[in-house]
Amino acid sequence: MNNGTPTASKPRSAARSITVRIKRCDGPGKPARFESFKVPVEPGANIISVLQWIAAHPTTDGGQRTTPPVWDSGCLEEVCGACTMVINGKVRQSCSALIDDLAPAEGDTITLEPMTKFPVMRDLMVDRSRLFHNLRRVKAWVPIDGTYNQGSGPRESPEKQEVRYTLSTCMSCGCCLEACPQFTPEPDPAAWNTSFIGAHAISQARLFNLHDTGKELATQRLDALSGPGGVSDCGNAQNCVKVCPKKIPLTESIAAMGRAVTLHGVKRFFGVKD
Amino acid sequence: MTTNESFMQRNYFLLRRLHSLTGVMPIGVFLLFHLTTNASIVWGMLDSREGATALERGVRTFQAEVDFIHSTPFLLLVEVFGLWLPIAFHSLLGVYYARTGRPNTGAYPYQANWRYTLQRTSGYIGILFIFYHVATLRWGWTWMVPGGVEWKHNFAASTMAQILRGGDEWTAAGAAVSAAYFVCVSMLVFHFANGLWTSAITWGLTISARAQKQWGYVCAGVGAALMLAGWASVLGFATIDPVKAREIELRHAAGKGGAAEVLPAPKP
Repeated sequence: MNNGTPTASKPRSAARSITVRIKRCDGPGKPARFESFKVPVEPGANIISVLQWIAAHPTTDGGQRTTPPVWDSGCLEEVCGACTMVINGKVRQSCSALIDDLAPAEGDTITLEPMTKFPVMRDLMVDRSRLFHNLRRVKAWVPIDGTYNQGSGPRESPEKQEVRYTLSTCMSCGCCLEACPQFTPEPDPAAWNTSFIGAHAISQARLFNLHDTGKELATQRLDALSGPGGVSDCGNAQNCVKVCPKKIPLTESIAAMGRAVTLHGVKRFFGVKD
Repeated sequence: MTTNESFMQRNYFLLRRLHSLTGVMPIGVFLLFHLTTNASIVWGMLDSREGATALERGVRTFQAEVDFIHSTPFLLLVEVFGLWLPIAFHSLLGVYYARTGRPNTGAYPYQANWRYTLQRTSGYIGILFIFYHVATLRWGWTWMVPGGVEWKHNFAASTMAQILRGGDEWTAAGAAVSAAYFVCVSMLVFHFANGLWTSAITWGLTISARAQKQWGYVCAGVGAALMLAGWASVLGFATIDPVKAREIELRHAAGKGGAAEVLPAPKP
């Protein structure tokens, strides 16, 4: 019936209202509560713009004056990972979560919660220190620091670049950890070295082991991945690859590092150096 | 506890891989043989060898399989080191590892995530079932069997039928045992098939998503075939008449000259 009409001309209601339920928490260890806000939304609005409106008008739908909600965000284009939160029960970035998709009709409700695997600092803001700690466990970097110029690095084949490029798009957002049944909250930093390291760190270990200079640390990375909390702790639920916003083949990385630690283990068993 | 933990930590990788290995070999391979053997109560009916009726062919073929197994030298040693210890090891570590996870199929109801959860559930149930199964049929803990029947390897099919019925006739408790066998055997077959799939990832045999998917089809095929064998076994034993089966087994034993002779020669 829309013969010749471009789909872009689909009429959008100019101004409508939705309800946003936010899990509030005043600080670390404080009790959580839900607060609902009635928010007018423009076409094309995202969760961040809705949060900004609520912060400017911090009155609940019951007319109660409250504090402006706190959240974390940075790039607003789904490359920094800072604004990751649980939206309608699923983890994702709030900047790329559009209201028109999540709450298309007048009066629809959107529920916002902080990630559950990291300690809540306040409201929707969490402390992701453990995520970065786990990257340090596998030395997820290329060792180039030294007292003299080491010259240019080795050339990389386009094939290898292709594999590594996808892995390098990881933005440490934490989606894979939030959705992982094997990555559980661990408030004690002393236990972080033996609790499950997570898909992101396993994939980054693969990225840097594939790098010709990065692989100088390959043995240390494989030692870390062989030990407690390493790649063996993966339970193959494969939620990580489903929720990864960058479509990183995390389960392939896990299997690849599984193979690497198998060979590493066999070599170590027979006393062969890598 | 502390020394225990440090032992676990020091040998973490080895224990993890032994846990994976024992699941496939010997336990998985045994399950393959065990269910194929037990299903002989059904596929034996197609056997063209001795037996006027389908029941007779089924009972005789199964009895011949059991006789063969019981002719194994040092059977108890094979059982202890080839089965019971590996199963105990796989079970203990499995529970330890499973307790580190928190299933979340509610929020993330993906197929692989459901299998993750079911792998753990079937493991817990499987441990209880295997214990019951071995204790009642091998160790003679007949107080756990409705009707108190003891499994006898010379009367393999008839005593099994009694155990699944609660006696020569069906009882409610016997039906519950049959239902439990059906569910638990299904759970264990799933556990093996899914474990076969995950072990290929664990060891790094299947890396690409495509390889994992294709190996998944193979594992599903193995699982489906084994599931049929498991169902045939449970339903086969539950539906045969223990009294008639016992008569066949008596004739079978009488017709057997020595242990070497497996089945009487076909009639001319």
